[in-house]
Amino acid sequence: MTDSAAILAKPAALEARRSGLLRRLRYLEPSNLLWVLLVAALLFLVAVPIGKLLIVSFEEQGTGAFTLSNYATAYGRARYLEALGNSLMLGALSSLFSVVFAVPMAWAVSRTDMPGKGFTWAMVMGAFIMPPYLGAVGWILLAGPNSGFLNQAWSWLTGIEAPLVNVYSFTGLALVIALHSFPLIFIFVKSALDLISSEMEDAANILGAGTLTAMRKVTLPLVWPAVLGGIIVVFLETVALFGTPAIIGIPARINVVTTQLWQFFEYPVRVEVAAAYAMPLLLITIGMIAVQKLLLARKGFVSQTGKGGERRPIRLGGWRWALLGYCVFVGALSVLMPLAVLLQASFAKAWGRGLSFSNLTLDNYAYLLFRHEMALTSIWNTLWFSAAAATAAVIIAVLVAYIVARRLVPFGSALGFLAMAPFVIPGIVMAIGFYAAYAAPPVALYGTALIIILAFTARFLPIAFANSSAAVRAVHPEMEEASRILGGGRLLTIRRITAPLISRSLIGGWLIVFIVASRELSAAVFLVGPRTRTMAVLLYDLSEAGNFEVLAAFGGLLLAITLVLVAIGMKLAGRDFMLRRN
Amino acid sequence: MVVLNRRLLLGLAAGGAAARLAQAQEARAQDMPAHEKALYEAAKSEGEVTWYTGQMQAEPSEALGRGFSERYPGVKVNVVRSTSQVAFQRLAQDMRAGIAQCDVFSSTDHSHAAHLKRQDRLAAYRPRNADGLIQAARDAGDPDGFFHVTYLGLYLMARNSNAVSEAEAPKSWKDLTDPKWRGKIAVGHPGYSGAITSWCLLMRKMYGWDYFKALEKNQPQIGRSSGDPVTTLNAGERVIGAGIPSATTLLSISRGNPITLIYPTDGTLMVPAPSAVLRNAPHASAARLFMEFLTGPEGQRVTRRFFGESLRDDVPPPPGARPLSEIPLITADPEALERDGQEVKELWRDTFGV
Repeated sequence: MTDSAAILAKPAALEARRSGLLRRLRYLEPSNLLWVLLVAALLFLVAVPIGKLLIVSFEEQGTGAFTLSNYATAYGRARYLEALGNSLMLGALSSLFSVVFAVPMAWAVSRTDMPGKGFTWAMVMGAFIMPPYLGAVGWILLAGPNSGFLNQAWSWLTGIEAPLVNVYSFTGLALVIALHSFPLIFIFVKSALDLISSEMEDAANILGAGTLTAMRKVTLPLVWPAVLGGIIVVFLETVALFGTPAIIGIPARINVVTTQLWQFFEYPVRVEVAAAYAMPLLLITIGMIAVQKLLLARKGFVSQTGKGGERRPIRLGGWRWALLGYCVFVGALSVLMPLAVLLQASFAKAWGRGLSFSNLTLDNYAYLLFRHEMALTSIWNTLWFSAAAATAAVIIAVLVAYIVARRLVPFGSALGFLAMAPFVIPGIVMAIGFYAAYAAPPVALYGTALIIILAFTARFLPIAFANSSAAVRAVHPEMEEASRILGGGRLLTIRRITAPLISRSLIGGWLIVFIVASRELSAAVFLVGPRTRTMAVLLYDLSEAGNFEVLAAFGGLLLAITLVLVAIGMKLAGRDFMLRRN
Repeated sequence: MVVLNRRLLLGLAAGGAAARLAQAQEARAQDMPAHEKALYEAAKSEGEVTWYTGQMQAEPSEALGRGFSERYPGVKVNVVRSTSQVAFQRLAQDMRAGIAQCDVFSSTDHSHAAHLKRQDRLAAYRPRNADGLIQAARDAGDPDGFFHVTYLGLYLMARNSNAVSEAEAPKSWKDLTDPKWRGKIAVGHPGYSGAITSWCLLMRKMYGWDYFKALEKNQPQIGRSSGDPVTTLNAGERVIGAGIPSATTLLSISRGNPITLIYPTDGTLMVPAPSAVLRNAPHASAARLFMEFLTGPEGQRVTRRFFGESLRDDVPPPPGARPLSEIPLITADPEALERDGQEVKELWRDTFGV
């Protein structure tokens, strides 16, 4: 494999060696060609845009001459450094909150006899598909220090003037972000938990451990890779988030990396400085992946083997109601409460007038559906851009994950790094990387649907990759080896053995990418052209238009559409899930 | 006899209606001045025009696009609405990529148009209809005809009428620094809104930067666009809005939200917003026709429907607004805006932290 790759990379070999080359090409497995294609795709999607960013960061604006002044500008002010620090702290705090929300829920849904699992699952999906900036607007209504419903209720109940909660604070910002990112950890951890057979817990129980000890000492350590992967993804997503910090952070006077980057893109646009400013984020990713490797090294996490294993729900007795209470609490914070205030606004003539019959109207929806020229187009754009990006990302991710997990090529982990790298690049910068690399001729993709699909694919490759690699890592190679021993080629084995084993995870991964792509704002906002606006961009445009009723109605439409699609998807994924259980 | 008469009348009425309709169509075609007709013929073959705009909100922008296609059937408008800064960034990106997508560019920031003119990106075109604009609008346009004022933004103050009575409300920009408004004010951000940048420049000129230091002590809630405080006021989160656009606010008031406009005694901020035809516009004739539409009475009537100020004497001011001749107006010098705009944004960020 190494030899053939090296030869392929040198097409201008000497004539004398060519016949030898052709002879050797005949022995090339078709799968090897696929790897080459994969490398090319990753280079195109990730390496070239990031490389272009790196180059641009050392270029003088206009002339393109080498300079370090961009770095001097980017780190030359205390305010800019403070933004960097804020982003890191925000990422850490949001990940922490997300773990606190997600892990108990995932454990409850996957391992216990807690009632209301369907409800919990629905809440998690709801939190996930609700675009974060929409949730942020909902939380401003709930927890605005003066007008928020929660604070008004608090004052009414206790007579205390001081607000109970203030969304315009660092903790408020981190909480609102966590309320919409905890599903990432939930999904990772739950899929991992689903694969653990009860035998392992039984073993602990037999040796005298109670439910809690077994969970702490056996179950949770086994899903540690999933938790860690989830934390990393949430951290990186938080750092790259633009909408919520713009909506809550600016009034709270909190400047973060993305809002600071926006400033570098103000007229006169300083792409070069922005590129320099984005560089530490890349270093952080490298660091986090190194830490992940260190933590996971030399420990076995294989839980899915070729041998069977029974999975039984743990009986919790009265505690199951406490656990359900916790799930309802998280669901209320993340979905029910923000959704209720947004829906109220979307059906209101004037939401300042509050709830009353005379204030009810359907006109906000009618306006969007029948009189707004961009609304329907943007809905259609969103759906097909997201579907195309999800498909591309999952295909690439699972192949890379497989190569990395099975060590099929040397430096396979470099592929893994490439697939993981886009997540730390804030969407705005990613967009500029794509812009710098592919907008201009000869590629000339600016303003097309393709550039958005490619950017979405690249941006969400890490989610698909984390998901796929967790799935692949959980499949012991012995099952593939059985197929290989019986004469199956690598591709046949993947198709017949590995793919069916991980297909449920993959459908889950596809859904995740589809959903996050459909609500993605920061990568889209700079790449959309006249005909390629997405719902998220339109929502963002509406969010500063001072017309909150229409914004809420559009958010309602976005949620309704995504819900329908998720229901269809869950039905497909769910049927598979049922078959496996039986 | 009566029946017959009635039938006759009905018949006459129906015939009359049909005739009137045909007449109206004909009149419309005749009503189209010769210069518009010639452009229209050329524009029809182009079929569309792409308009990057940050001047008005999404709904009125799209209504203008529709209004244009109604007046000139067969020419579609691709409305690309965003904030002015984003619209300009998009255009700058197009240019760096060497792509011509935009035909007409409209923003609230005079320096955008001036910059584009200097870079030789604009086509000189003087719409005939621009001759009918009011003096203030004509004066603010480019003397060489590279860009024209198609919209006047008025930025003033407002109060939540449930929380603040007329008597206790602030009367001037200066009043906003009164400590009694601590924690009560909402305002946009100069980094996101060109109008707020103009406002910052004028306040600095009138009261010095100390004005903003005093304002900072009152802990205003900072949004992004100048329209953000309208939302904040509707919610009752803050009760005084500063530097908010009259059009968005009047629209919100017309929906029943509890807001009242305050025309500051030290001057309502007027921001003349330019539009221009790009030199490399892919739909050159449609672009010029669109400029005629924007400066003509039809375009202004659409603008007025969304509470935009009228730039023509033949179109009255929007309902709820005071006529421009009755109120003290202040406006930023475009050169100062271009020279010092970046500086006040930095000052703002140093003072307010974001």
